[in-house]
Amino acid sequence: MTSTVVSAQRGNDSSLKNLDQVVTHMNLDEVVVTATRTPRSMGNVAIPVTVISSKTLYQSGSLRLNDILAEQTGIQVIDNFGKGLQMQGLSSEYTLILIDGEPLIGRTAGVLDLSKITVKNIRKIEIVKGPSSSLYGSEAMGGVINIITDRAGQNKTDLGLRYGRFNTVDGNLNFSRRFNKTDIAASLNYNQSKGYSLKPNAVQKTVEPFRRSTQSLGIHQQLDAHWKAGASFRANASHIDNTIFVQNLGTTIASKGFEKNEEFNFTPYLQFKQEQKIQSTLRGYLTGFNAVQELAVKNATGGYDDRFKQRFARVENQTDWQMTANAAFTAGAGVVRETVRSNRYDSASTLRSNTIAYFFTQHEQKFSPQLTMIGGLRFDANQAYASVWSPKIALQYKAAEKLKLNISYGRGFKAPDFRQLYLNFTNLAAGAYSVFGSEVAVSEIKRLSAAQLLDQTTALVGSLSALKPEVSGGLNAGLVYTLNPSSQFTANLFRNDLKNMIVTDVIAFKKNGGQIYSYFNLKRALTQGIELGAQQKIGQRIQLNAGYQFLYTADKEVLQSIKKGEVFQRSLSNGQAFRMSISDYGGLPNRSRHTANLKFNAENAKGYFSTIRLIYRSRWGTSDLDGNGLINRSDEYAKGYVQVNASMGFPVHTHWKCMAGVDNLFNYKDIQFLPGNPGRTAYIDIQFIF
Amino acid sequence: MRSSRIIGSAMLALVVFQACEKNEAPVAVPTLTEKTVSGIPADTIVGLVNGQPVGAGKFSFFSFETNAVVPSTDSNSVKWDVAVRGTTIITNGGNSGPGVGGAFVYVGTFDDLKAVPKDSVFRQDNVPTSYAVPNASNKGWYVYSPVSMLITPIPGRVLVFKTAKGKYAKVEILNYYKGGVTPSATATDAEKLKNQRYYTFRFAYQADGTMNFK
Repeated sequence: MTSTVVSAQRGNDSSLKNLDQVVTHMNLDEVVVTATRTPRSMGNVAIPVTVISSKTLYQSGSLRLNDILAEQTGIQVIDNFGKGLQMQGLSSEYTLILIDGEPLIGRTAGVLDLSKITVKNIRKIEIVKGPSSSLYGSEAMGGVINIITDRAGQNKTDLGLRYGRFNTVDGNLNFSRRFNKTDIAASLNYNQSKGYSLKPNAVQKTVEPFRRSTQSLGIHQQLDAHWKAGASFRANASHIDNTIFVQNLGTTIASKGFEKNEEFNFTPYLQFKQEQKIQSTLRGYLTGFNAVQELAVKNATGGYDDRFKQRFARVENQTDWQMTANAAFTAGAGVVRETVRSNRYDSASTLRSNTIAYFFTQHEQKFSPQLTMIGGLRFDANQAYASVWSPKIALQYKAAEKLKLNISYGRGFKAPDFRQLYLNFTNLAAGAYSVFGSEVAVSEIKRLSAAQLLDQTTALVGSLSALKPEVSGGLNAGLVYTLNPSSQFTANLFRNDLKNMIVTDVIAFKKNGGQIYSYFNLKRALTQGIELGAQQKIGQRIQLNAGYQFLYTADKEVLQSIKKGEVFQRSLSNGQAFRMSISDYGGLPNRSRHTANLKFNAENAKGYFSTIRLIYRSRWGTSDLDGNGLINRSDEYAKGYVQVNASMGFPVHTHWKCMAGVDNLFNYKDIQFLPGNPGRTAYIDIQFIF
Repeated sequence: MRSSRIIGSAMLALVVFQACEKNEAPVAVPTLTEKTVSGIPADTIVGLVNGQPVGAGKFSFFSFETNAVVPSTDSNSVKWDVAVRGTTIITNGGNSGPGVGGAFVYVGTFDDLKAVPKDSVFRQDNVPTSYAVPNASNKGWYVYSPVSMLITPIPGRVLVFKTAKGKYAKVEILNYYKGGVTPSATATDAEKLKNQRYYTFRFAYQADGTMNFK
């Protein structure tokens, strides 16, 4: 009975028996679970899905999730409040990251830091592009990344140790064993670095020394022929030193402190399964994120103390019913309660909460051997903001044996976060400005007015109201062409139309000149482009992969204003203003129009391997310099670049593997716009498997 | 050096003006002056008070007619048209001065504005409640970035002035930093503060009292 294999994942998993074989190379027969929340072979899913195998993870020398995602077509890792994900041109806050199907929390300014996730215990990563809110709810606008850690049933223990530049140490232990009807899997990871300075002689490091640890444990028990139960637990912690020097008119103020993030996830479940007909899973999920930052000013009083405590609890049932050979139905419902305590909102003792109740359904119908349709719908009823419907429809047409055509349209949404609802922040250092969440803005304005601190309010005060979720409509249309088992070509056109995007705007001015901001559903934007991929096997030993994405993004209001002739820019040569044209507009910041990668992989039967990976990113807009708030002038872009990573390895002995690699071989650096890129880093890695 | 250039050009303007009076042929004399002025200090930073950078609190006064800085001793006269202190711009009118001056912000390019539109409403200073040229980030002529802590003039904003004596001028502010160069976003705070509050602008002044800038 192999059905215990992916217990942490939803659904039927009998097709995973040849686990190692499946994950060895990209394969349309590979079973994926993220796109439909049911196991389907990749070639039968009408939605763009890619899979990264544990072998690719190992051979690429990846340590953290950002390392491997940065090498994927159509994905950018953006350094801002940690390593954030950008997919189909949508930023981190609009992409959902799951671990074994459950969402990770703990975002800072919308960014989920990918570097807090080790890839050393990952079995595979599934990437679904385009809106998937019809299944997963909030945040699944640009796509979903599902990290599948479960290794239960592999009967394998491996111990890995890595040493690299900047005193980077990564130690890892994975254990999985099957005892009769019980599966146990556990893993430990420790990761540290002493950090680095990009600027010579800098008093403050670009990246401060940090240490992180992750532990996980999963137990899965087959109770009888139909029932199975289990639970998994994961804990994650990081500690970052903080030494900050602020120069103020020649006076240097030194602050010392630390930043500490802790996270845990607990997932118990009970599953019923009757042959291939019905499967029903009741799952609980409890996750927490605690962040503390403390800074003390040297030789003076005062400092900075930031506390953020988030809890997310969920109970959910999902039932899959294989009605006939050609029809499958899925339904699910659940309740979420989310709470936050933080001194960013009033005080660390005030509890902010939201309760969400939701249901979702999905129907898959095979009309003919060629044509399959999937329709899905989800409804989220929220306590703290407006409710939202998320439909999705996907079609697959197998036009010929070698050619598959896919088209899908879905709506995605992102709920207003606690920051947008409850933030109560006043920056005394920079212009004494304040930012108030939409739920507290009116009372704060009244309080300031009563205290005679308010100068005047803007017209926007009148439109302060409950925030609505940000929504998007996403269209994906693509093809997979398999010329022969050695060559495959994929193409996918995408377009995402976002509206109700939440932006900050000024609602009032204080008497001391400071501005008061709050949040509004004002912005509309679009991202569109094409993603191309090609795989070619040369002989038995060499594999070539190429990927390219063309991306166009724009703020729709800006496009409109440009068309009306209301947008201006300032010339670099004479400093004078002139009218901006559509072609001058660089779209949303941090987006590269062209991104590409080219990967060579050679491997022989004895297990000797080498990889060379070229990652290209064209220029991207950084910040406005000419006062129009837009990306338009050549000096507002960071330079495009190519990064080359290489690795090689071989088995030393039956139980020993060793590998070494160099990331950023040609030492590309951009101190200002790529602070997270330390330049060339070499490493060596050994693994003991038994 | 810059101020001496300004004084120099002011003297030149004076000479031209006197010459005009002598030959008494005003029809032939072009009445529109177009100039670019640089390095007008606007209450530059002198120190920190409670951690906040401050200047001496003094305005710099400027006359379009003479294209010159006017000494502050003449602040209660109609010799100046516009004065700057930090990002604050006042006009010689309203409660800021004895003149009939006022201003409004026109959205468009400097060259777009070929004449002051007939139905224009010139706002007047009612300090500190309101200014003819709104003094807030993204509301008048500039935008302040809390991230880079830099002030940048908004492109496509032309300040249209009625002078102290009721003539018309238009102004495009080009830069707010010394030498007309905005420091890099990565420059030190000290550098950003030390070099700020220096206006570079171009203006056109119509001496004949009409609203035309042609």
